[in-house]
Amino acid sequence: MTQLMNKSIGELHDLLVKKKVTAKDLVLACIEECKKDTCNSFEATAFEEAIKASEKIKEVKDEEYLKGIPFLAKDNYSTKGIETTASSNILNGYIPLFDATVIEKLKRAGMILVGKTTMDELAMGGTGTSGHKGVTTNPYDHTRIVGGSSCGSASSVASGIVPFSLGSDTGDSVRKPASYAGIVGFKPTWGRISRFGLFPFAPSLDTVAYFTRNVKDASYILTCLAGKDKKDMSSSSRKKEKYQNYVLSHKTLKRIGCFKSVLDSIEEKAIKDAYLNVLNGLANKGYEIIYYDFPQYLLDSLYPTYMIISCAEATSNNANLDGIRFGPKADNDPQTYIEYMKQCRTKGFSSIIKRRFVIGSFSLLSANQDEMFTRAQKARRMIVEEMERFFDNIDYLLVPASYSKPKKVEDINYSWSKKTDFLENIMTIGNFGGYPSLTVPLTFIDGLPCGVNITGRTFEDGYVLSLGQEIEGITGLKNLVANKGE
Amino acid sequence: MEFEPVIGVEIHVELKTKSKMFSSAPTSFGMPTNTMTVPYDLAFPGTMPIVNKEAVAYGIKVTKALNMTLDKTLYFDRKNYFYPDLPKGYQITQQFRPIGKDGYVIIIKDGQEKKIRVEQIHLEEDTAKQIHLSDISLIDFNRVGTPLIEIVSMPDMTSGEEAMKYVEAIKEIVTYLDVSDGKMENGSMRCDINISLKEKGSSVLGTKVECKNLNTLMNIKAAVDYEINRQKEILERGDKVEQETRRYDEGKKMTVLMRKKTDAVDYKYFREPNIIPIDLDDGFIYDAIHSMNKLPNEYRVELKEKGLDNYEIEELLKNRSFVLYFEDCLLLKVTSAKVLWNLLMVEVMGYLNKTEKNLEDLKFPKEYLVSLANLLADNKINSKQGKELLAKLLEENANPLELVKKLGLEQISDPKFVEEIVDRVLQNNAQSISDYKNGKDRALGYLVGQVMKESKGKCNPSLAKEMIQNKIGPCGKR
Repeated sequence: MTQLMNKSIGELHDLLVKKKVTAKDLVLACIEECKKDTCNSFEATAFEEAIKASEKIKEVKDEEYLKGIPFLAKDNYSTKGIETTASSNILNGYIPLFDATVIEKLKRAGMILVGKTTMDELAMGGTGTSGHKGVTTNPYDHTRIVGGSSCGSASSVASGIVPFSLGSDTGDSVRKPASYAGIVGFKPTWGRISRFGLFPFAPSLDTVAYFTRNVKDASYILTCLAGKDKKDMSSSSRKKEKYQNYVLSHKTLKRIGCFKSVLDSIEEKAIKDAYLNVLNGLANKGYEIIYYDFPQYLLDSLYPTYMIISCAEATSNNANLDGIRFGPKADNDPQTYIEYMKQCRTKGFSSIIKRRFVIGSFSLLSANQDEMFTRAQKARRMIVEEMERFFDNIDYLLVPASYSKPKKVEDINYSWSKKTDFLENIMTIGNFGGYPSLTVPLTFIDGLPCGVNITGRTFEDGYVLSLGQEIEGITGLKNLVANKGE
Repeated sequence: MEFEPVIGVEIHVELKTKSKMFSSAPTSFGMPTNTMTVPYDLAFPGTMPIVNKEAVAYGIKVTKALNMTLDKTLYFDRKNYFYPDLPKGYQITQQFRPIGKDGYVIIIKDGQEKKIRVEQIHLEEDTAKQIHLSDISLIDFNRVGTPLIEIVSMPDMTSGEEAMKYVEAIKEIVTYLDVSDGKMENGSMRCDINISLKEKGSSVLGTKVECKNLNTLMNIKAAVDYEINRQKEILERGDKVEQETRRYDEGKKMTVLMRKKTDAVDYKYFREPNIIPIDLDDGFIYDAIHSMNKLPNEYRVELKEKGLDNYEIEELLKNRSFVLYFEDCLLLKVTSAKVLWNLLMVEVMGYLNKTEKNLEDLKFPKEYLVSLANLLADNKINSKQGKELLAKLLEENANPLELVKKLGLEQISDPKFVEEIVDRVLQNNAQSISDYKNGKDRALGYLVGQVMKESKGKCNPSLAKEMIQNKIGPCGKR
């Protein structure tokens, strides 16, 4: 029983169908694992509700792939009746009145929500160290980060607490931690999944995204989550598909591109070797490998473009957090509404968040907007136009998802780096273009995982997943769980 | 030095859609506080805006009515500022691509038409309502998110009267389109007016002052005229007009300072990322335009053709429900529109006012009123009889045609019948005839009265009068 939660959704599903376990067995096993969490993965738990929900499940049919499986959600999904703070003090005590559409859909499919996971405050950050509950660590090495912002969701899947957890991806907030945690992280096409109930960070980039331990599981999850939602006007009305069919029938496209400058810039030999090994493996399976010259100035503009757009949208999206209608109240007897809001926001946000708000506001001021926000949007368009040219002749972009071991917690500092490494921001391309983008395990360096990332054309989510499975076959890395098994 | 006023008007019109601009909460006036909201209205995290189609259709109608160019793609933007009545910390509006551009309305001034250009209209959402008490401020979120159309004029007006007429024209249009109550007194239509003076003939504009709190048409005229004089006096003294916001104090009949405009607030506008630009479907636009109500100016032309004069037309246009009623009646073969107008706008309206009822409270079919009007217009009954029948109609919903038969009221205009009675009366009243010939003109009335008496009120009195005059010749001189 103790190893039950190391299994994938598919394996647990088989056990449920064959009545070797019950949904309640799974929830109880999951609760045990939650209690043994060593990474600081949890914001809130919903054990009682989960047990109750599991007791209602008497039978699981073969086609009910997700029914009876426990899962966790990042703390920026609105969950009815469960405190949701986005790991920020400004939302302490906030208990939502409604479920996010994705939570509703998963519940309807029979999945059981067991708890909420830690994150970088308000999803702003890539280290998993800035939430109000402190640092979330990497299950492979507790002195290191697991990455963020979806840190608790990544650590919980990697450490065998649940086979699936919801995250969200605005820059690479699922795909980067997936790389550091040795699991699958998938950000589907923007608009494929409703964002209703996801706390907004930067809506033009935000995507519902998630972690599993293999690609097949990820494809079933997308089939459940995809579709038009009348509560989210930006959700696509394009017909949804059975994405698992791409994976089950190994349906892929054949031309794989890699950026020359990326290949030339990888410093970590183990990563470069593993990456080339995968490219070779794919070439051997009949894929065409194409080296593409993506202009360096566009690669260098990824980070500033991302920062300006995301901070600008963030400062506006989080303006509702003023302490008037929800969240902790002001306590120093404010005399005006300005004092009231100032007090609430001063104590509610960490300094890192405030810095992002200042940058965002500054870039939107009419005196600066042309030079900063509008320019960033132009840069975004140029990056996407270049990617569209790339996709004219190439079906996938394949890059390493991380370029070094995850950092030591003690080495994290929040000072603003003057020189940025484009490699560390390469996956923001997926958000700029709204492309489906998938991280799967690539290799281990000194016992620490490193992933590889596949990006495809919008709405070709099925093809992206299917190539991910192909790579699982080449690396032999899937269903990984830290410090257990093997 | 001579000065010319330059006046521009911004009007916020609350739309009477069933639900709010971006949420499913109902819009309603006068409900218990904080009961008309859904999570989006309070900006709970994760809620998203859904554009109200009905509000867009209303926007298209107003665009068309103001002769504007419609933007067939809808864009929305965020206007960012912190305020307690603004839960999201931003208002969704249309800063960069308004739904309508470059239109105009016509006002009539001194019998002349004047075109006032309308720069743009845009769709946006209203804020919540604040209630300030002595020790505490309260917020009622019922109003938050109510759809608004902001109508921005060009600075084409030059007097209080023109500003008033412009606002009146807009009010007429939005109420006739039935997209808004257009009630200035309860805030469903709110005006801000910008006023500045420039040297006559110069193209250099002066410093402008914004005027608020103008909740009646008369206040607009008064406030603008007051402000023009105030600024003129300042300039004539050689001082400078300061850029500021003033409100009209109805009691003092003057504008008073609200706040000095220091640096304008920077609203940090940017495109709303949760609403992808919406291409308006041609069918949707067609339906919106072809379901438009008739506008006041169309009625003006039509009613003139039916024979009403300007006074009658304007009185009728003051209330759309009367126009609709009148229009319906006209479809029923009306002998004289004027007679009908008189019945409806004098008699019926008088009755409704006295009994505090509305037009909708009238239970009789419109055919009855038209029958009554035609009986009068065709001289089948006299006005006294008309009044009796109307009273029965209003109080008992009685059919005038049936009543006329039942009560034997039908006026007789058959010349043979009338002449017979006239001759009899003349034979029996030689004294009156000679009085008349001797200059007593009142005697004619007496003779007509005798005819009416003889015929039990059925004779057409004007016909009888005409016949008597023909028979006894002109009135003599004393």
